[in-house]
Formats: sequence, C-alpha cells, structure tokens
Amino acid sequence: MSTLKQLYEEFVERARAVGTEVHWARGKEEARQLVGQVIKELKATKVALAENPFLEALGLKEVVRECGAELTSGNPREQAAQADLGISSFTLAVAETGTIVQDATDISARLVSMLPPCHLALVPAGGLVATLREAIAFWARRGEIPGYLAFVSGPSRTADIERVLTIGVHGPARVVVIFVEEGDGEL
Amino acid sequence: MSKASLREAVRDALGRKSVACALTRFADNYVVAREQAYQVKDFESLRREVARIKGEAASRLEELAAQFTREATRRGAVVFRAQTAADACHYIARLAASKGIKSIVKSKSMASEEIHLNRYLEERGLEVVETDLGEWIIQLACQRPSHMVMPAIHMSRHEVAEVFSREVGERVEPEIPRMVGLARRELRKKFLSAWMGISGGNIAVAETGTVVMVTNEGNGRLTTTLPPVHVVIVGLEKLVPRFEDVAPILEVLPRSATAQPITSYVTMITGAVPCVDPQGNYLPRKELHIILLDNGRTRMAADPVFREALLCVRCAACLNVCPVYQQVGGLFGDVYTGAIGTVLSAFFTDFTKAALAQHLCLGCQRCREYCSAGIDLPGLIAELRRRAVEKNGAAHVERLIFEKVLPRRRLFHGLLKAAARLQGPWAKEGRIRHLPLFLAGLAEGRSLPPLAAVPFRDRLEGLPRPARPKDTVAFFSGCLVDFVYPGIGEAVCRVLAAMGWEVKHPEGQTCCGFPARQAGMPKSLAELARQNLAALLEAGAERIITACPTCAEALKCLYPEALAGDAAWLPRAEACAAKVTDFSTFVWEHKDELLPHLAPLGRKIAYHDSCHLKYALKADLAPRRLLAAAQAELVEMTPRELCCGFGGTFALKFPELSRALLERKLEAIRRAGADLVALDCPGCLLQIEGGGVEKTVKHTAEILAEKLRRLP
Repeated sequence: MSTLKQLYEEFVERARAVGTEVHWARGKEEARQLVGQVIKELKATKVALAENPFLEALGLKEVVRECGAELTSGNPREQAAQADLGISSFTLAVAETGTIVQDATDISARLVSMLPPCHLALVPAGGLVATLREAIAFWARRGEIPGYLAFVSGPSRTADIERVLTIGVHGPARVVVIFVEEGDGEL
Repeated sequence: MSKASLREAVRDALGRKSVACALTRFADNYVVAREQAYQVKDFESLRREVARIKGEAASRLEELAAQFTREATRRGAVVFRAQTAADACHYIARLAASKGIKSIVKSKSMASEEIHLNRYLEERGLEVVETDLGEWIIQLACQRPSHMVMPAIHMSRHEVAEVFSREVGERVEPEIPRMVGLARRELRKKFLSAWMGISGGNIAVAETGTVVMVTNEGNGRLTTTLPPVHVVIVGLEKLVPRFEDVAPILEVLPRSATAQPITSYVTMITGAVPCVDPQGNYLPRKELHIILLDNGRTRMAADPVFREALLCVRCAACLNVCPVYQQVGGLFGDVYTGAIGTVLSAFFTDFTKAALAQHLCLGCQRCREYCSAGIDLPGLIAELRRRAVEKNGAAHVERLIFEKVLPRRRLFHGLLKAAARLQGPWAKEGRIRHLPLFLAGLAEGRSLPPLAAVPFRDRLEGLPRPARPKDTVAFFSGCLVDFVYPGIGEAVCRVLAAMGWEVKHPEGQTCCGFPARQAGMPKSLAELARQNLAALLEAGAERIITACPTCAEALKCLYPEALAGDAAWLPRAEACAAKVTDFSTFVWEHKDELLPHLAPLGRKIAYHDSCHLKYALKADLAPRRLLAAAQAELVEMTPRELCCGFGGTFALKFPELSRALLERKLEAIRRAGADLVALDCPGCLLQIEGGGVEKTVKHTAEILAEKLRRLP
C-alpha cells in the first residue's frame, strides 16, 4: 500500500508533467489562503463558484469577496461564461496519471471547469487513489454511475497544427488543484 | 480509381514534400514517446486484456446492443439502432427539423465522417460546425481528415493561416498560438448559440448505458454540455460488456494514439443530464439521442476472418508506424486510413476503394507489433487482397507468373537461367541500370544486380564439407540467394561446415510462394508449399536453415495456414515449421561451435533490421548478438526501425514510393557512420545496395564467412 504522501508525490509529478499546478492545504484555513492567493495572482475580477457542501464548509464565498473579486451571477451558463476563474470540487485524484475526477452531473460544476480561462479544483485529501483502475472501480462499486463523470488531466490542449503543443484551445489554459486535508468527510 | 490512377496519386502525394516531412517527423518522435508512455505498463498483457474484452463484445454484439439500449433508455436517453449510414443521417436531420434547429456544433467523430453526415445536413440547410481544431481546419479547407486522431496533420501552419484568413476575412499570421486563440474565439460563439451538439464515442458500456469520450481540447465537453440536444453516433464495435472494461482500454488508447498516459479529458455520459439552453432556461434533463450504428459491423462480426477487425480501439498506432502512410498520408485508405482503415473501409464505406488502397501495403508487418489489440493486420490485408482478386480477377501477368510458371519448377528455373544468359545487353559493370518493358520501373533511380551466371544450386559440388559431420541441416536458399546472390548461399555453407554441420540443398525446392500470397493468390502459395515440403522433408534433416527471413516466414508461418484445410499436408507443414530457423538464430544458438574458428571482425557495423526478420520471426537480436560476440563494434541507426522500402513486388508496383522509403534508409545509414552495413535479408540487400549507398552492405553469413580462420 502506498502512503498518502507517496500518492501525493506521484500525483504532483504526473500532474505537473501535464501542466497542472498542485498545492496541499493542511486544513481549511490554509485552503482558504491558497484560494485567495490564486485569485490575487490571477487578478481575477469575476469568479464562478460551483457551490456544494464541501466548498460551503470552506467558506470560499467570503474568500472571493475578501480578495476584491465579484462572484458571478445569473444562470449557471452566464456565470461561467463571464468568469476569469471557475472553482469547483472534485471527488478523486489519480496519482499515476495526475488526473482529477468529478461527478459533474450538476450543470454548474460542469460549466465552471469548462468555460473560464482558469479552473481551480479542490479535492479532499482522502480522494487520492493510486490508479485509474481504482478510480473506475470506485464509481462501479457505488452502483448507479453518475450522469456525467469528468476525468481532467491538465489544461485543454491541442497539437493539431504541425503537432505543436498549444494549451487553452477550448477549455481552461490553467488548472490549479488544491488538496484539502481533514476535508470534512464529504466522501 | 484504377491502379494506374492510384500510381498517379502516389506520385502526386510524393511531390508534396511537406506531408511526408510532417508525418515522418511525427512518426519518429512517436515511437520514442510511446515507449516512454508505456514505461510502467506491460503493453503485451494490456493488449491481451483489451483483445479479450473486445473479442467477447464482438461475439455478443446483438446482446450487448440490446442491453445498452435498455440501460441508456432507463437513464433517460433515446437509443436509435441505425442499420445503414442513410438511416443515421435521416434520423438526425428529422430530429433537427422537428425542433426547428438550425445550428449544430460537432466534436470529433469518425463515425460521422463514415456516414458523410456533414454533407447530408448541409444540403438540408443546416449549419454544422466542426469544433475539434483539426476537424475545423479540414472543414474550412473543404478536405477530408487524413488521420483518425490528427485530422489536419498533413497541413502546414501557412496553409492553416490561409484557410483562417479566408474564414475571418482578414489576414491571419501563421503563428500557431494566435491561430489557436482565433479558433477559441470563433468557435466559442458557435458553442454558445448552438441548439444541437453531435459527438462520437470511444467506448459504449452495455452494463450501464454509458458513452465514454477521450479528448484533449475540451470541445467534446462543450459539445455535450452547452446545446440542449446531444446526439451521440457510436459504432456497434465500441460496445464493451462491463463498466470496469473501460479501464484497460483507457490505458492503451491515449498511450498508443498520442503517447500520452491519459488525455486531458475523459468524459463518461450516462443518460440525460441537466442543461441550460442558449436562452437561459434550466432543463433538468436535456435530450440525449444515442445512435448505435451498424453500417456493416454485424456483417463484419459474422465474417470468420474480418471479425478480428472489431477488436480495434481506433488508436491509429498502425498509421503512426506505417512507412507507406508516412509518405502518402490519407491516400492509404478511404474515410478510415492506414492498415485498419483500409480493412474497415471495405466493410463500412467502399469495398472497391479499399480493394485498390490495399495495394499500398508493402507487407512490413510493423503495424501488428504496435496494435493496441494485437490484431493481425497484415493477415487481414492479405485476406482483403485475396478477396479482391477473387472478385475482380488477377492481372494477366500475375496469373501467368503465379498460375503457369511458378508451380512448374523446371520451367521457372529454366526461364531464370535463360534470362541470366540474355541479360547481357542491360548489365554494365556488374549492375543493371535499365530494364526493358514493364520492369523498367524497378530500375528507376537505382541499379539491380544481374542474375548470377551460375546459380547456387549448380555450385554445391565445390563447397567445403566437414570431415566428420555432427549432423545434417537442410538449406532452403530461396530465389534471391539461388539466382541472384549465390555468394550468400556459399557463405552459409562455409560457416555451417566450419561449425561441423553437413548441409543438404534439396534440389526439388522452388520459390517459397510468398509473392503469390502477396498477389492475393493463396492457392498458388499452397501448391508451392506442397512442392517445397516434399523436397525439404525428404532430405530428413533435423533443422531447416534459411538465409532469407521472408522464405523463413513462408515456411514457418504461412504454410500451416495455407494448408490448414488439407488433412494430408497440414501435419507435414507443421513438422516443417517446427524445424525452420533463420541462419543467424541458428548460428547464435550454436555459437560455441563457430567462435573458435573466427578471427575478430573488428569493424564498425550498423545492423539493418529486415521487417520480416524483426516482426514475423522476432529474430532481430540474434544477429546483433552474434556480430558482437564476433567482436564487431555495433552501432544503431536512428531511427532504429526503418523499412528499406523493398517489399518484393511492392517495389515493382510503386517504384517511386519504394525509392522514397529507401532514401530515408540511406540517410540513416550515412548518419550511423559505420564501415559496413549488416543484414539478414537478400531482398533488403538488393534494395539498399542498389540505392547507391557508399557503404558496403553484406549478409551476416558473408561477414562471418570472410573471417573464418581456416577454410575446412
């Protein structure tokens, strides 16, 4: 059995190789600080937040406001389309490929990771698994497969012109993952 | 299109150097990057697992389709079983019409290419926009994809800039990041206003009704999320029984396709999900229509040979490693391209086109080595060739050669001896530079060795024999060694004699029959197999040695296959197959008998991998080990695996293409900086030596024979 630390190290290596930024937060406070840091660094003025109990418990709305950014409003489609940054939570993280996995049936959760130029994903530390097979077995075990399961490994990319790798063609050009320790047992 | 116009099209394609440049550059990098991506995975066991899953699915196609339909329907999808391309097109057009939909966005789907959906919908006044960058470029340029995974790989940035300039009505600079940005802006508008999204699917799970999509750009996610109606077109062969079967396919697909451990996005859609339409209305369940496309797949599943093609996961590795595809791109195939594409096209789109395109396969067998499901692609191409000949008949020349001349050994060998006497006028300084009539192409841009004045079979008397032979081996020389390079045969005999083996060369042996199979005439192969088996087994030797890997492959692999239905001969074919070994492998196995008699080679040698030695016999290591043990300094060429472009009759059918492949090989040889090129195949020798390379090229047997300390 790999320890959490080993899984995290492998995840970081794999995720960075495909262009994902990865952080580790020891608790909610550190998670809030890291989110704030990302917002400031990006100079984001509009942030779309796909709320769920896990993110609510972290109190991210306040973090967005404290950073002087505005939470987008309107229907989920407009919200995500206006935002400089989309924030959502993911259930699993696969160490061997640097992939994060989300039940994206909820339309907001789906859109905030697709339309804005930058996407920030928060993942409970307990969601780290070693392999893709484990992640797939996880959903198979749960019975009914979610309507929309999303596996994300780094930013949107293309090499369709002369095989030159270019990021951000349709989805986000920047993907940030923050693992949250003591993640409130949402899993 | 006729054979002549195919040749014309090949010449055209070769003229567009940028295509071959882009494809070869990609292909060379691909092999290295792919190796890296598989580093922590066991490719062989993975592809066995994939083949097992897909094989089970192919044998239960109808049952899985019914289960998929039930499950997806239960989750709120509408499943439509389309028997033909037309059924699928009608369904989508009717669906759009019934909802008053005018604008459609599409993510990449080869199935939609297969049914020519865009044309059908556009003719009915619908706006259909491809959103995969490569597909969009192709659509704007009014072309068709040349590669299943990288549709616009044949176009340069300048060509793309021109296409974009036309589209946006202003000058676009050929800078890739800016052009990608332009695509993002233009296509984002289309996404946000579209009412229907059409996508393909890489896997369909019967157990759960799930459709899996593997993408990098994110356009697939937008196509399946923004418009309130989503149509999936997925071929029946994408079905797998269980949700957990997805994992092994996901482990091979991106690694084999683009050398990525995983793509940026893997999307799994199960039933209808919530949506917000372009007017901002929230829909708790959008419309999901899944078209399960048959269009020849059931017919393929019922075919005892071609059902194997249903194992394909569409990674396109067979295109990526195909030497011919690298030169001519999309010309090799129809809607689907490359080896698998040609086979699929025969069932899904156009048998006639596929039957013509298969001529472009040179038979190197490299594709099978890389196939994510271990499909015997060369075997399928051979069968396609056989059926094409069965349907359309063979050319007169081929019927004459394979039905009238080759099966009559005395006539065939008599003709060769006569030709050796008559070739005088064309042979200058020991080489032939121009050939008469239909053979002219073969001598184009290269020279050929003349037929030997005295064939190997008439030189046996003067060869050394061990005083007290430990045992006997039979030598199968094959036509090239017998009539063109008898020196290789002599070298084989000298080396084996030094090792203490008595060598018999059964007189009744004739052409191995490989060219007959290549011409799609396996009956002629079977006839030659019987003659050779009779001659070889009569010799009663424990082992049968060849100095030509193509002959070895025929004896070892093809004879049992060709005689499978012949109860009298099959046991003999199997007995023979078990005895056959290529020269270098045999000598390596008995190296202790040779090394004491050998002076150190002491030369810098670059070893050329002959395709049939490497991919059919898997014997590429033995000659390297042997040469190294004989104290040669071995250097590898870059890229290490590179076909010389000979391919037997391929060089006759497509001389310019053969020459283009040879050029790459010659460059690799020059770069390697060795004194000498070693190889184990007289066909490759003929090709490389004739290309005008400054290096000496020799068969391993000749290199060893020259260094024997004492001629016994």
